[in-house]
Amino acid sequence: MASIEFERVSKRFPGEGGQAVQALDNVALKVAPGELFFLLGPSGCGKTTALRVLAGFVIPDQGTVRIAGERMTRVPPHLRGTGMVFQHYALWPHLSVFENVAYGLRVRKLAQEEIRTRAREALRMVQMEDRAEDKPGVLSGGQQQRIALARALAVRPRVLLLDEPLSNLDAKLRGEMRSEIKRLHQETRITTLYVTHDQKEAVTLADRVALMNAGRVVQVGTPRELYCRPVSRWVAEFLGEANFLPGTVVGVNAWGEVEVFTALGVITASAPAAPVKKEQRVTLMIRPESFVIPGPEPRPGTVIHGRVTRKVFLGDQDEIVLRAEEEIMLRGLFRSAEVERIAEGEIAEFRLLPGAAALIPE
Amino acid sequence: MLGSNSRASFALLALLALCLLAFLVYPLLYVFREAILPEGKLSLAFFAILFQNPTLRQSILNSLNLAGLATILTFLISLPLAAALGRWNFSGRAILQSLLLAPMILPPFVGALGMKQIFARFGSLNLLLLQHGWIETPLDWFGQGFWAVVILEVLHLYPIMVLNLAASLAQVDPSLEEAGLNLGAGRFRVFRTVTLPLAMPGVFAGASIVFIWSFTDLGTPLMFEFREVAPVQIFSAVLDLRTNPTGYALVVLVLLLSAILFWAGRSALASGRYTGAGRVMAADRPPPSALARLLLWTGALSLTAFALLPHLGVLLLAISKQWFFSVLPEEFTGRYLLGIFSHPLTLTSIRNSLFLSGIAAAADLVLGFGLAYLLVRRRFRGQEFLDLVAMLPLAVPGLVLAFGYVAAFSNTPLNPRVNPLPLLAIAYAIRRLPFAVRAAYAGIQQIPVALEEASANLGARPLTTLRRITLRLASGHLTAAAILCFALSMLEVSDSLILAMQERFYPITKAIYDLTGRITEGVPYASALGVLGMILLFAGFLFAGAALGRRLGEMFRIG
Repeated sequence: MASIEFERVSKRFPGEGGQAVQALDNVALKVAPGELFFLLGPSGCGKTTALRVLAGFVIPDQGTVRIAGERMTRVPPHLRGTGMVFQHYALWPHLSVFENVAYGLRVRKLAQEEIRTRAREALRMVQMEDRAEDKPGVLSGGQQQRIALARALAVRPRVLLLDEPLSNLDAKLRGEMRSEIKRLHQETRITTLYVTHDQKEAVTLADRVALMNAGRVVQVGTPRELYCRPVSRWVAEFLGEANFLPGTVVGVNAWGEVEVFTALGVITASAPAAPVKKEQRVTLMIRPESFVIPGPEPRPGTVIHGRVTRKVFLGDQDEIVLRAEEEIMLRGLFRSAEVERIAEGEIAEFRLLPGAAALIPE
Repeated sequence: MLGSNSRASFALLALLALCLLAFLVYPLLYVFREAILPEGKLSLAFFAILFQNPTLRQSILNSLNLAGLATILTFLISLPLAAALGRWNFSGRAILQSLLLAPMILPPFVGALGMKQIFARFGSLNLLLLQHGWIETPLDWFGQGFWAVVILEVLHLYPIMVLNLAASLAQVDPSLEEAGLNLGAGRFRVFRTVTLPLAMPGVFAGASIVFIWSFTDLGTPLMFEFREVAPVQIFSAVLDLRTNPTGYALVVLVLLLSAILFWAGRSALASGRYTGAGRVMAADRPPPSALARLLLWTGALSLTAFALLPHLGVLLLAISKQWFFSVLPEEFTGRYLLGIFSHPLTLTSIRNSLFLSGIAAAADLVLGFGLAYLLVRRRFRGQEFLDLVAMLPLAVPGLVLAFGYVAAFSNTPLNPRVNPLPLLAIAYAIRRLPFAVRAAYAGIQQIPVALEEASANLGARPLTTLRRITLRLASGHLTAAAILCFALSMLEVSDSLILAMQERFYPITKAIYDLTGRITEGVPYASALGVLGMILLFAGFLFAGAALGRRLGEMFRIG
């Protein structure tokens, strides 16, 4: 098991019309051995470049990358011992599935017998052993994906690199492959760097995530940290839907939670990462699913009154938009049974439990 | 589809089919019949003679060896160039690419004149070596003509190989190579195990053209008096068609071989084309190192320089007063260059060639546009067949076609012994039709069909749309097609040598051949004509290149 490190890595590409693109801007990351680490961000944010820097296909302008503590920045790609799964699989169409998987083993000059065993083993791991003699061209996208994984795993790489591995699969297959990748990672415990633009993939699979934007790492943390305690509005919105509410800090309670005065009353926000001062202006982030509909029994928290301007049936949930005081619009998501009796145009109440809102420092 | 439209399509199709049937299929079938059905009875006797007669057998073997060697050498020379052009992004890439076409502006048989002057027993090189005392007796550089022909073919044809190969290499998805590197294979191993196997279609395509062209080239061996090759034997057989029927069998053999290779090259292209899902970006690849660039430029420039040696020789011959037993000519004159416009033989040949090429280019323009339009814009059964037939002239050597014309049309009003001009024009047109179709095809394909639909939607009749939208937007490509067909026709060799039998009908190439046989002032006049041809072809490439951009190279690919 090997660690991965990026130390202040920067890369500019010459862009269209002479305008250079800053693909990586001082990127610093540490991935622990055995971790399933995600690089998440919108397209063009530099995440694929970061992956290619680690694989050796891009030489950074500045900075260092290390695998297991060894400097790798100028080592040619074929000597780095990474196993990469390419976005479009990059299976060689002129070689059989078996030969694709065996390629890295042949390059390593292993004995015939060992090549066969290890290639078979890799194919068995992805449940494709019966397709060994086929050419990749006759396989479906999901099957090709499995072969690409097997090919990368067969050489027992120090780190596994996945470049948008699920982006070319349909929704159902994507779900299957997600659990497949999770299972393979748990079996092999290979340090894995996984690039995706799909926050759902990152949130459901990652041990930790680095969220990137415009070549910079914006926030690193567990999926829960990123979702519940985003460092900025942009992070909050990238990971899911959110309501934002400006306010002023009035105090901190015994649990470290912060009391914030807003147009909708005083709201108790979860304990922030950095300390806040009284009178400090802040933004509150409230996820739509953190509202509840007040019941008969008394519970703590803030009750917000308003008129229902929209109610949309979403299948598993209902979306309700509430126009609260000062024309503030709040979106909430509820189980359908919970909001059966609420109708558009009527007055309704949302309750916000203490700690359900998060502070975003301005 | 509008009724009148499809009727017009049908009429066009019928016209095309008629032309190709009468002047491509019929003469070939005629030769076939004469070869296997002499006096109405099926017999392979003539083929047996091919392998029994020692001269004929040796000629066929020589031709195969010659073409095989030329193909292998061409491949070896082209591979590094193609790898660089197809896969690297470097400044000066465009210059290198156009430089590549330079050797093609002179048919190798004219180049032979210059080559002889430089490499002959008492040519410049041997004289130079003798003068410096590096050798004591003149060396034989040519190996009785065999190696001279091989080298001239290689120097003339490597651009075609490079273009085919580079295109194939460029299509290999870079991520397929990265996957190899990622798994621990070094650059050369990746090139050998991934890139080259995936580019094999291009190798086959290029190799089949180079083989066919060098196998069937008549002019070059003729210039070196290297008579024991199949094309020269066919050339001699034309003279005694009635008394010696083995010519038919030899032609059939050459045709079959060419057709099989052409078909193999094309099907390799069709079956082997793996389309990568990934975007192909040359920018993704690491730029070549300074050393690699240096090697590339040195190699490419010295190759081009060497390939242009024959051209240089021809040029010097054309402007030297006398060039005999000296390394370089000692006195220069413009007499021959100007003289070709007053010398009766050369002037007639220039007139003939201009006239014939003009007609051929015009015919190609009309037929090529029609065919391309049907292929791009219409869907009908037999379309693939039509495409194949349109490309067929690439597989039918000029030599074979001309032989077929002489055989099939001898007792008709088109008899080339009486007046070969109609058949010459037709042969030129048919031979260059694939280029016209390809250029027009590219031109029409780049026009979004919605532009034509918008015109129809606003009430324009199909012909109006064709005239005011399609033709206008494709005009660049069509101009290029016409120029290319014209320039290449000016220097058609095999069919000119065979079909034109009387001086007053000689086109330029036949005049060059005739002149080189004359003792006094023949070679300088022939060279001057060659220079004129070079200028025409160079200008043709220049204009066509300007109109087509990078697509000029695509004209010389087969798939």
